[in-house]
Amino acid sequence: MLKILTLPCFLFIIRSSLASNLEHDGWANIKLEHCLVPSASPVFTERGNITIQSLRLGQAIVKQNPLTEQEKNQLRDLAAKNQFYQIRSTVVASDGAENTFLSTIKACMLAESELDDKLSVSLDYTGRVIGVTLLIASSSTCEGAFVPLSKLKQFTTHVYVRHSDVGPIPNTQSYIEKLEREKEARERGEVKDNRSILAKYWMYIVPVVILLMVSSMANPEAAAGNGGGAGR
Amino acid sequence: MTNLGHFITLCATILSAHAIYEDQVGKFDWKRSFIGKVKHAQFDTKRLIVTTHENIIASLSPKTGEIQWRQLMEDPQEHQPQLLHLDKDAVTVSGGKSRFYVRGWDAPTGSLLWEWPLVLDRPGDSFWLLQGDLLVHVLAIKGSHMEVTQFSVKTGEVRAKTRKIPETWVSGDKCVTANPYFVCVFNGQLFWLDVVNEGGRASSQPIQGGPDCNLLEFDGPKPAVLLVRQNSAKIVELGGAVLPHEVAPNAVSIGSSVFQLEANLDNLDKLVRVKSFDLVSGRESSVEIDYPLGLGGPYIVSGQCRGPACELLLSSTDHALTLVRLPEGRVSWTREEALSNIISVEFFELPVSDLEASIETEFTDNDVITMFTRRISTQTKQLVNLVSGQFGSTRDDFGLHRIIVVATAVGKLFGIDTLRNGSIVWTYRLPNVKPVMLLVQRTARHAPLPAQCVLLAQDVTTGGGVLFAFDPISGESRGLDRLSYRIKQAFVAPNEDEEHLKPVIVIGADDSVRVFPERGPKTVAYVYTIDQSLVQGYRLEPDGLKPVWNLNLGVCDLVGVSTRPVTERVHSQGRVLHDRSVHYKYVNPNLIALATLSEDPVHKSVLNVFLVDGVTGFVVYSTSHKKAKGPVHLVHSENWLVYTFFNERFRRTEIVATELYEGSIQSNSTVFSSFAISQLPEVKTESYILPANPVSMSVTLTERGITNKFLLVGTSSGSVVEIPWMLLQPRFADMPCGPEESCFPYMPEIAIPPEATINYNQTLARIRKIAVAPAKLESTSHVLVHGLDLFYTRVAPSKTFDLLKEDFDHRLIVLVLVGLVVASYVTKYLAAKKALRQAWK
Repeated sequence: MLKILTLPCFLFIIRSSLASNLEHDGWANIKLEHCLVPSASPVFTERGNITIQSLRLGQAIVKQNPLTEQEKNQLRDLAAKNQFYQIRSTVVASDGAENTFLSTIKACMLAESELDDKLSVSLDYTGRVIGVTLLIASSSTCEGAFVPLSKLKQFTTHVYVRHSDVGPIPNTQSYIEKLEREKEARERGEVKDNRSILAKYWMYIVPVVILLMVSSMANPEAAAGNGGGAGR
Repeated sequence: MTNLGHFITLCATILSAHAIYEDQVGKFDWKRSFIGKVKHAQFDTKRLIVTTHENIIASLSPKTGEIQWRQLMEDPQEHQPQLLHLDKDAVTVSGGKSRFYVRGWDAPTGSLLWEWPLVLDRPGDSFWLLQGDLLVHVLAIKGSHMEVTQFSVKTGEVRAKTRKIPETWVSGDKCVTANPYFVCVFNGQLFWLDVVNEGGRASSQPIQGGPDCNLLEFDGPKPAVLLVRQNSAKIVELGGAVLPHEVAPNAVSIGSSVFQLEANLDNLDKLVRVKSFDLVSGRESSVEIDYPLGLGGPYIVSGQCRGPACELLLSSTDHALTLVRLPEGRVSWTREEALSNIISVEFFELPVSDLEASIETEFTDNDVITMFTRRISTQTKQLVNLVSGQFGSTRDDFGLHRIIVVATAVGKLFGIDTLRNGSIVWTYRLPNVKPVMLLVQRTARHAPLPAQCVLLAQDVTTGGGVLFAFDPISGESRGLDRLSYRIKQAFVAPNEDEEHLKPVIVIGADDSVRVFPERGPKTVAYVYTIDQSLVQGYRLEPDGLKPVWNLNLGVCDLVGVSTRPVTERVHSQGRVLHDRSVHYKYVNPNLIALATLSEDPVHKSVLNVFLVDGVTGFVVYSTSHKKAKGPVHLVHSENWLVYTFFNERFRRTEIVATELYEGSIQSNSTVFSSFAISQLPEVKTESYILPANPVSMSVTLTERGITNKFLLVGTSSGSVVEIPWMLLQPRFADMPCGPEESCFPYMPEIAIPPEATINYNQTLARIRKIAVAPAKLESTSHVLVHGLDLFYTRVAPSKTFDLLKEDFDHRLIVLVLVGLVVASYVTKYLAAKKALRQAWK
């Protein structure tokens, strides 16, 4: 217990000279507390401690105690009654700023996942923690499975540091390049001709048609003779 | 190039079809123009020139009240009209603090004749006087001196150098002008000074009354002011006597007569009385006017008299403008100027006709006799309706006839008909409240139960919450609840009670929860509140509010919050890709989109956009744009978010589309739960340049969500353009994009063709918001654009695929059908005949 308490202090001394934003790569220390007894004014008890050494890389050291018998029973009761499991995380950043965040999940989901939970730490663009959320990876809510107490031993928490994306900008460069490529291709005559057959080959079609017309006009007797023959 | 060609053809087929034909103008759209609360008014022979608190000069027709012309000046937040003078041309002075504009307008046409600006070196209280072509500006520096400058009104040329007149009686807030004097009340004495003619000396006169008396302008035959004490006033002629008449503070003089309004309690039909007396002859008269019921308390703005016939222009506390003709006391016209500032809009379906309602209730009883009598009475009604041909305002098949309920900033509610050119069906005035929003408790679908709507408002004096329930179709009150506390958050719970009434849940500033109506069902809901940068999520349980999550967005300004429309339905669960596989959408109904602007020492100001799950507080996605400036507009629909902002680096408006996908497998496909997250949504983004300055943005909404989506963007130039969502939808980087995939190749600039303007040539002034509601016809959405003008139209993003065209030839179809039937019978007959003949052979 003593070890866990001294760790943040130790880190604080080392890193306090560094700025907290992402460019200088800050760190953060998260003290986790949870509430296992549902009440109007929840009482939080210590759950563990997480140190994110590098916010940029998102590496975290997770220190959590195994659950005591009493805690196991309390958690099982919470799950059985379909209550909510709440954590309170106190984040101390490298610039000394302290923030407290709440997060709530369904206790039965936590029990069914056998205490395999995920902690999402969301940062803003400067690298300041804006929220800490506890999640359970599952494609559905509780299935009602019975979880033996032996499976509720210790939290296996994965920490995910989630950075803010850099917003997109209109991609004019590649569009202009594309237009230029097409222009060049056209100039080189590589562009595919998608005109209709008539538009493309009119210079061949028109003489043929004229030839046909002229030939049929030059030989009217044959045509008339044929017609007369059929009539008879 | 081929791609571009495809793109143009696609554009042509999709976009050109949305323009309307010339003969369709005004067929399903209407526009109503407003001017705002009137500040100054001047009569001319043929027109009435007014300036308003919206910083507008307009000319109205004295006969009908219609706007002949209207000119918008600077932003009314900072600039206000200071002076209006109508001679041959109309002269206005408008501005605020230290910047003023002097303008001349041609009275018949409203064209600007001349204009010059005036910038003051120091702030103070400015007063203006106009005499001939001499404009006098008086800058009062409280308790010290005043600076008088004379300008030529047309050119702005300084006629006489600024005179500094050291007078300790200049008090600023208790000063008025009375041509040619500048008048102040100070220490129980009235002081005045001729500021037009140089060399004038300040005069003073003791007045009776304590320090609580005030001065008002009075445009009498002689230079005079109104000295107001509590609720009565005296006319003080400068250099003359205090007139013995006790007048109301709203007294106005026209010629030599003084007019004032009084409440008339003797006659309940005519609640207002105009009293007048002649200053010269002392003749008194009193006329009762049939002031329309439902309007607020009136006061006289201006008037004119021609012999015994007078016209008085009245304005009221609810910003209505009324012209009264004397001596008849008849109201010529009324303009509801409250509609120039709308806070909230809801669309309501009309109830079914009594007939249909009675059919629906026909089989509710088991008693045979009552059923029989009901049937008989229904059929008699049917017969009566058939004979009289009356159908009244009832629901139509396509849900195109709606009642638009609007709540205005002055606390007046209006019911507006979507057909009949936006005529006002009903009004309801709530004094001393500031509306916040309208909540729909019950629609008209549950006949015979009438629809019910609740206006959530704030009391102006106490700041406490006000809940006003009313029938949105008829405008009848269903009860008013005044709460003793402020409202922090309020919403309509989704579950209905046995009367199909959705309870309104109100969370007070002290986190107390109340349900209206109180017997309403208990609900579990998730609520969020935003206090500057702290976002707090609560779970609402029957025994109270419990905080469940919180976010701290840091030091920033919250510039936008957007949630999906409650009634929105997502028809298609995924997007079909070129290889016929489906990419499933991440459709989370609990998603909240937040936009903040924060100061940054390096990047000036940074726009942050967050997508937060409202149940767990999980930040699903966040992004930031550096060197970005407001205004920011957010639109959140289905699985996507669109926002616009101004990029300071490139000096252009950009529009960004963000789309969320689950991928090729759909997790929790049956029931969505925010708690079950199997994988993080895949985010696609794309950015574009928007060649317009957006002031408002909205998205079309249809009954079942099958129809394509259009973004509606109101621009500062007064047009509302539609942009197909398909144009903005982020492209998949490694996939072909062409007409076969129904995908537009990426273009960095969004083209806005003129035919995409849904209000065609009807420019809309100062657009504030665009309200959208689905019609019963899947293809169509109702759109109401409000700002200074009201514009209603219907849009059909995928064209009216579910309607026959107007020029559909019914006659030809009938003819062909009849012909076919006849032909088949004839051939049948002939065939039978032939068969008979064959048999006899």
